[in-house]
Amino acid sequence: MAEMWITMGPQHPMTHGLWTLRVKVDGETVTDTEAELGYIHRGVEKICEARDFTQITPYCDRLCYVSAMTWSHSYVMAAEDLLEAEVPERAEYIRLMAAELQRLASHLMWLGAFGPDIGNLTLMTWCLRDREMFLDLLQELGGSRMHYNYQRIGGVKRDIPIGWADRMKAKIKLFEHRINEYEMLLDESTIWLVRLQGVGYATAEDQINAGVTGPNIRAAGVNTDARWTNPYSVYDQVDWEPAVEKPTSVKGADCYDRYRVRMEEMRQSCKMLLDAIEKIPGGSNTHYQPEDEMILTKAPSRAPEGATGFSTYECTRGVSNFYLQGGGEGRGKHPYRVSIRSPMFITIPYVAKTMIGYKVADIPAIMGSFDPCIGETDR
Amino acid sequence: MGTTITKEQNTEAANAAVENLTARFSDAGVTSEVVAHTGGKKYDFVRITCKPEQWVAVAKHLRHELGVNHCAMITGTHFPEGSAERGWEVAYHLHRWPIMNVKPHTMMVHEGEKLAGDLIPMEFEVFIPLPAGDSPSVPSIQDIWEGADWNEKETWDLVGIDFSGHVNMHRVLNPHDSPAGFHPLQKQHKIRYHDFNEMYDDPQGYARKPVDEGRVK
Repeated sequence: MAEMWITMGPQHPMTHGLWTLRVKVDGETVTDTEAELGYIHRGVEKICEARDFTQITPYCDRLCYVSAMTWSHSYVMAAEDLLEAEVPERAEYIRLMAAELQRLASHLMWLGAFGPDIGNLTLMTWCLRDREMFLDLLQELGGSRMHYNYQRIGGVKRDIPIGWADRMKAKIKLFEHRINEYEMLLDESTIWLVRLQGVGYATAEDQINAGVTGPNIRAAGVNTDARWTNPYSVYDQVDWEPAVEKPTSVKGADCYDRYRVRMEEMRQSCKMLLDAIEKIPGGSNTHYQPEDEMILTKAPSRAPEGATGFSTYECTRGVSNFYLQGGGEGRGKHPYRVSIRSPMFITIPYVAKTMIGYKVADIPAIMGSFDPCIGETDR
Repeated sequence: MGTTITKEQNTEAANAAVENLTARFSDAGVTSEVVAHTGGKKYDFVRITCKPEQWVAVAKHLRHELGVNHCAMITGTHFPEGSAERGWEVAYHLHRWPIMNVKPHTMMVHEGEKLAGDLIPMEFEVFIPLPAGDSPSVPSIQDIWEGADWNEKETWDLVGIDFSGHVNMHRVLNPHDSPAGFHPLQKQHKIRYHDFNEMYDDPQGYARKPVDEGRVK
């Protein structure tokens, strides 16, 4: 049969955002692919050059609308490296909890979007229902539901409110049961298993060489995780283990492994949250005023000449990096150059190539299992 | 307790890597040093400075001798007011992580505290200063780390650094029909708030004008 190119996207349920996958097909089989990105390129790196270090945080929130807290956390870590700022320990605990709540919300959004791709519409409603619990908790911290602007260079904007700890614990305990419910819904569903098992194999070494990181690597059987390989915040003080899954073939992890590893990661996040709230210095039911030295240290606003800042951060979809160059006195409070590594920008071209050899109907399953987010991809 | 990499392991790995690089490349003028982060946990990393013509040899050494398996990001920077030797700079950020293929139905659970030698995760930063001029160029490392492929495409697209030997170079973030030679992160392109303290000097924004207003961009 003659081969032909078909274009999926930019408006296609598979894409989870705006991008185009051009697929060359021979009958039902994919023989070549090409990814086209850049539909929502906003030039964040250029805009940041004209902003104060503090003004950049909200832009970093908007890099990924599904996991804003982790992106602004990643940015302030790089800015603290550049400006030589210290963070109080209580603020580190609060940041950890905020990031893990965001990870739960983000993985739920992923699962909710992945379900309909595979043909399970129930999942969307269940996941968005539970995500709401965590968005409410994050709203109490940052004041808004999606773009929090909560991290500050040298700490956090506000302390946790009175009663937040109890509400959080109750919601986490409820959610731990809900994860079991999801697994009952999915792991016993023939459609779910048939669509995911044996599809989209990727080995650990191939993936790391291609720049793929995060849960997608852990699904291939290695417990690498920037939260312990490049330690930051207080992850070494709370109780958790990196989620890791046993791959099912010599060809590596399939879509089902990548789904399993994210479910396990949600359990680990719950464990971390329950542990962190017990260990937080200053007590879980106290509220320090904004700018108290328990939650915020004043950071310098100008970068030294020739200084650079770099952060390695385990974002919900992989490792994100920020690289900042300060310009010295000439640039005032502005950075000279801001560079952002988005995990999905590297992952999407790789995933496009892993589809070769599978059927057209497998494309949504493979693409969805890698958890694409186009906001951070295009920046 | 979560597993972690201790400060001692980190320092040991950074020193070992610098020793290795110095033994191999110090005659050629490649400098490598241990630098500590100033934020967070103040962990060490390795900073390498080399010339463009040495870069492929250094990259192969990092990949095959030091086990650096991840090319995280490539950053090009334009210094229009810089010196003649450093009108542009390319910064590579690389990681070494203990990642190996495993047999089916098994997994590899590293305990951070017990890792040793080349398995200790380490961060590498490579600076390549390029001479001022209109045609900055470094050799491509696309075939050493596959992950460098799209990073190089992005750096060429946004900053205009040419990666010689790069196969299939094309626009990735800018529109595909952008004019040749248009690379928005070069410093001659200004957005309207550049070099302008609008928050304090002009809160209403009346004075905000693009510097190249009236000209075709």
